[in-house]
Amino acid sequence: MSVATAAGAATAAPGPAIRAAGLAKTFGSIRAVDDISFELAPGRIYGLLGPNGSGKTTLIRLLLGLTKATSGRAEVLGVTMPSRSNLARIGYMTQADGVYPALTAGENVRFFAATYGVRDQAAARDALEVVELVDRGGSLTATLSGGQRRRLSLACAIVHRPPVLFLDEPTVGVDPLLRVAFWSYFRSLAQSGVTIVVSSHVMDEADRCDELLFVRAGKVIARGTGQEIRARAGTDELEQAFLKFSGDAEVRA
Amino acid sequence: MSRHRVAALFRRVVQEIRRDRPSLGLLFIAPLVITGLLTFILREGQSPTIDAAIVNEAGQPGQVISGLLSSSLSSQGGSVVDVADEASARSGLRDGTISVAIIIPAGLGSGSAPTITVLTNGLDPSGEAGQLGSLQRALLSAASTIGAGHLPAIEHQTLYGTPSTDQVTNLAPALVGFFIYFFVYLLTGVSFLRERTGGTLERLMATPVARGEVVAGYTLGFGLFAMIQVALLMTWVLGSIQVPSIGPLPAFSIGLGVAVAGSPVVAFVVVLLLAIGAVSLGIFLSSIARTELQVIQFIPLVLVPQFLLSGVLFPLSSIPGLLQPIAPFLPLTHAVSALRLVFVAGAGFDAPDIQLDLLVLAGFAAFFATIAALSIRRDVV
Repeated sequence: MSVATAAGAATAAPGPAIRAAGLAKTFGSIRAVDDISFELAPGRIYGLLGPNGSGKTTLIRLLLGLTKATSGRAEVLGVTMPSRSNLARIGYMTQADGVYPALTAGENVRFFAATYGVRDQAAARDALEVVELVDRGGSLTATLSGGQRRRLSLACAIVHRPPVLFLDEPTVGVDPLLRVAFWSYFRSLAQSGVTIVVSSHVMDEADRCDELLFVRAGKVIARGTGQEIRARAGTDELEQAFLKFSGDAEVRA
Repeated sequence: MSRHRVAALFRRVVQEIRRDRPSLGLLFIAPLVITGLLTFILREGQSPTIDAAIVNEAGQPGQVISGLLSSSLSSQGGSVVDVADEASARSGLRDGTISVAIIIPAGLGSGSAPTITVLTNGLDPSGEAGQLGSLQRALLSAASTIGAGHLPAIEHQTLYGTPSTDQVTNLAPALVGFFIYFFVYLLTGVSFLRERTGGTLERLMATPVARGEVVAGYTLGFGLFAMIQVALLMTWVLGSIQVPSIGPLPAFSIGLGVAVAGSPVVAFVVVLLLAIGAVSLGIFLSSIARTELQVIQFIPLVLVPQFLLSGVLFPLSSIPGLLQPIAPFLPLTHAVSALRLVFVAGAGFDAPDIQLDLLVLAGFAAFFATIAALSIRRDVV
């Protein structure tokens, strides 16, 4: 995966790239997201770590304005979400691939470029180049392998060079080689100023993030760098640390 | 609303359908096959034996026709008897000893073109339509041998009810409307459901695309295919392209040859408005459905009652009084009534009834588009 084509630099606006203030979402009696507040600085990679069903996806959808918050507020680049126009500055790679199987890879990227208002024909080609799919550009998406579809999904998420990028479990079903390529690309984006939020339930990816947010039962139970979290939990294993913080959260509750 | 985003959505929808062979077949071929079969059944199906009585007031030329008709009908297992006057023919019709009475008027073969009257009892319109089809051909070919220079006109009268020379003329416009409505709904409903369940709608809602733009893009995309479908279906229904006999192959004609009294352009506009409404209806109902099967399950719930209550098969006046107030609230009712006016009565854009139906159809399309846009919530899950 080529590192040369990094996304555009983030806006130089001071203050956090992403802000959650008392964000909550309930589905019936289930509190999917339960009073979460944080500020995320620009140009860093944040890892949302937690088991399936802990509320990571709902949190991302709240930050994107894709679902209505029961209470609280989400802000991206200083704009309160939901904001349709602000979505042009945000990239989102969903857990499902979210690409059209009946379209070719190239058609998919060009379609999403157009929805983001990108008129430059080179943008779609650049995005395909980043994920090394240029030679499959004319292939129907349905005929691509699982890993290729993940790459296409990423290309569609970065085709408009957004300063903020949400990646929901981007490496699920991705082979180790491609996973390394993905992470080095994410790092290059962050270096150019892009703020990245990655959700994962794989703890061994955690150390590639600048900061970790442990999510459990809709709450952020711990936040810090991998080193800080290990030190506070008194263990070298992030899994052990997660269990310890989970226990602490239960004691407090 | 951004022109570029709508154009991108339009292109995408077209690309998707273009590659979907089964859907294209459903859209373009199925209506032709079904209308063809229906026409075939209505016109030729019964191939009944005709027992005719002839009242000959024309003397010698009438005898010639009677003789020719007798041999052609008896070859199909029927019979021809000569009766003295119309009154005895009518009593024969009433008691069922004959199925058709043919009255050949005085003056036939004398250079003028008098009208031959064909009488049936009118109690079984579809059965009689089948008889009349073959009878008319036999009569015309018999009359042409007289060489009077003019083919006689044939008028159909019935003892009871009002006659209809070709059932298909009445049914075809209604069927054209119904098929467009049905297939456009089905295709949009299923494609939009795939968009909802396949995760692409969620992805699309994370872009600056507005809900109205999605509905507009879909309407344009499916509208294009509906236009092609309507053009194809109308050509098929109205057309009668004669293919001359080549070698051992007999001559035949392509198309159902349904007579249209009005302009096909007016009919085209009516059907297009109906199709635009069907796109939005498909999008809206796909928000209630969870699987593709459920989109199909809406057909007996939403489309079949419309089919029954909008005058496609049964005249509105024959629907029970209790159900009649529903008809004006069904888009299909207005499309069918407008199409019949065009096909049978030859009405154009200047007819107030057509204008009203077009206005109502446009209103329905706008209403469905609004609820379709509202059904595309960003809050999907």
